[in-house]
Amino acid sequence: MRVQQLTKQYDGKTVVDAVSFDIPKGKVLSLIGPNGAGKSTVMGIISRLIARDAGLVDFGGKDIARWKSRELAKKLAILTQSNNIQMKLTVRELVTFGRFPYSGGRTTPEDEQLIDQAIAYMELEGFEDRFIDELSGGQRQRALIAMVIAQDTEYVLLDEPTNNLDIYHATNMMRTVRRLCDELGKTVILVLHEINYAAFYSDYICAFVDGRIAKFGTVAEVMTRETLSSIYKVDFEILEIEGKPLSIYY
Amino acid sequence: MKTNARRANRLKLLALAALVLAACAAYLTVDVDPKYLDFAMRLRIPKLAVMLIAAFAIGGASLVFQSVINNTIVTPCLLGMNSLYTLIHTAVVFVAGSGSVLAVNANAAFAVDLILMGLSATVIYGYLFQKTHYNVLYVLLIGTVLTSFFGSIQSTLTRIMDPNEYDSLLTTLVASFSNVNGEIIVFALAVLAALVFALRKDLALLDVITLGKAQAVNLGVDYDRCIRRLLLGVTLAIAVATAVVGPISFMGLIIANLSRQLLKTYRHSQLIAGSALFGMLILVAGQLIVEHVYTYAIPISVFITVGGGLYFLYLLLTKRRV
Repeated sequence: MRVQQLTKQYDGKTVVDAVSFDIPKGKVLSLIGPNGAGKSTVMGIISRLIARDAGLVDFGGKDIARWKSRELAKKLAILTQSNNIQMKLTVRELVTFGRFPYSGGRTTPEDEQLIDQAIAYMELEGFEDRFIDELSGGQRQRALIAMVIAQDTEYVLLDEPTNNLDIYHATNMMRTVRRLCDELGKTVILVLHEINYAAFYSDYICAFVDGRIAKFGTVAEVMTRETLSSIYKVDFEILEIEGKPLSIYY
Repeated sequence: MKTNARRANRLKLLALAALVLAACAAYLTVDVDPKYLDFAMRLRIPKLAVMLIAAFAIGGASLVFQSVINNTIVTPCLLGMNSLYTLIHTAVVFVAGSGSVLAVNANAAFAVDLILMGLSATVIYGYLFQKTHYNVLYVLLIGTVLTSFFGSIQSTLTRIMDPNEYDSLLTTLVASFSNVNGEIIVFALAVLAALVFALRKDLALLDVITLGKAQAVNLGVDYDRCIRRLLLGVTLAIAVATAVVGPISFMGLIIANLSRQLLKTYRHSQLIAGSALFGMLILVAGQLIVEHVYTYAIPISVFITVGGGLYFLYLLLTKRRV
């Protein structure tokens, strides 16, 4: 998957300016940057939720706009922050929707098996028949991830998955992201605000400033004092914990 | 558990269907002198058919509209369709006169209603939906503005109209089943059937659409196209119902929510069936009471507006998220 010369303007103001980067397969890539840097817009364009003004998102040799939506749904799963589901829906029914691109409204025994696996993977067995709107934020997030797992895609796009979660649930969320990549072999791309989560749990980081890429590289390459200070315009110290760089800002 | 809930819902729907059947049977047979059975049937069967058609159109359209807008206390009548109907009717009488073919011949009147409403609804709402990016608040706000806009034009027309014309016009502006023409039934049925057939694929996607735009796109639904088609379908179905019985679509709010409360599911095939059945029950039983208890003293729309208003208040006060 490759992003080429992506550009997006709102009311004449350029929010994404000729952004190009390659997405390394089978790795976790975090998009970071200050507010308004364009990282969420780039994510939105890659996940075909936002229309772009110029540029190309090459996916498997074909621009994503030329893919059949249903076929793309078997390759690429998206999870955004806005999940206000109004329907009376149980956890299992939600996870079942993950199989929709494959079998429409009717599930096959094979689908049911994958749904069972996804539920077990996210340790939701006890909650299967609970309604989504009766769950806590962390549980609901896990149910949504289980749906993404049931969707069985090579690529998973997560837009600020740790938002509105406390430290415990956010950390669990990030561990799950790591497991999606290491155990299930998925390519995960996520937008994060918390730099240290990005540093600790991803392989690559892409830092945005003012609609452009300020730095793209491995965690070690991006997590330097100079780079972070120039991106966020505050002072940084870099520590090393468990062989990974962590930042302190003040 | 999952299959149990589905089976329970199927039973509930069956029970509801049985109640509807009972109401229909009662409606056809109460107070009928066997000697004049033929005559009574000729009067009652068309009325019954019209009620069932209207209930199906309003019930289905309201439920689809709520799911598309992702809000369970809206009804398509907030779009101003009722006042559009009133305006078109008034305009036809105003321009062509109450004695013209367009006003006297039921088929012609129905065709005019349907074509004008369908066209203007498609143009106005299609444009607005696109322009506002299906933003609920904008759509509803504009709907409210349009309601008074159409209303003002209509009242201007009635003010400069011949009083006799106005008198004959008035009877067609209130929802009623008293003066039903059997010929339009086939016409209306054909339109509805064509509508359901044309939208069958989009209707099947409704379950996914209610997950919200991001999820629907994620699961491979062409969201914008689907929403556009469904909203047009809703406007046309409401146009059919309004053209058949007059402005009554407020009922949609009641029956769609009754269906959601009873079935507690996300499956739209069941929800739509429930909504349509509730509509049939309310209309047929209501008309039965209007005809035999109140002997036509109160039109059924009064019951529906009063009952609907109370139910609306109840929904507003008891729902946590509105």
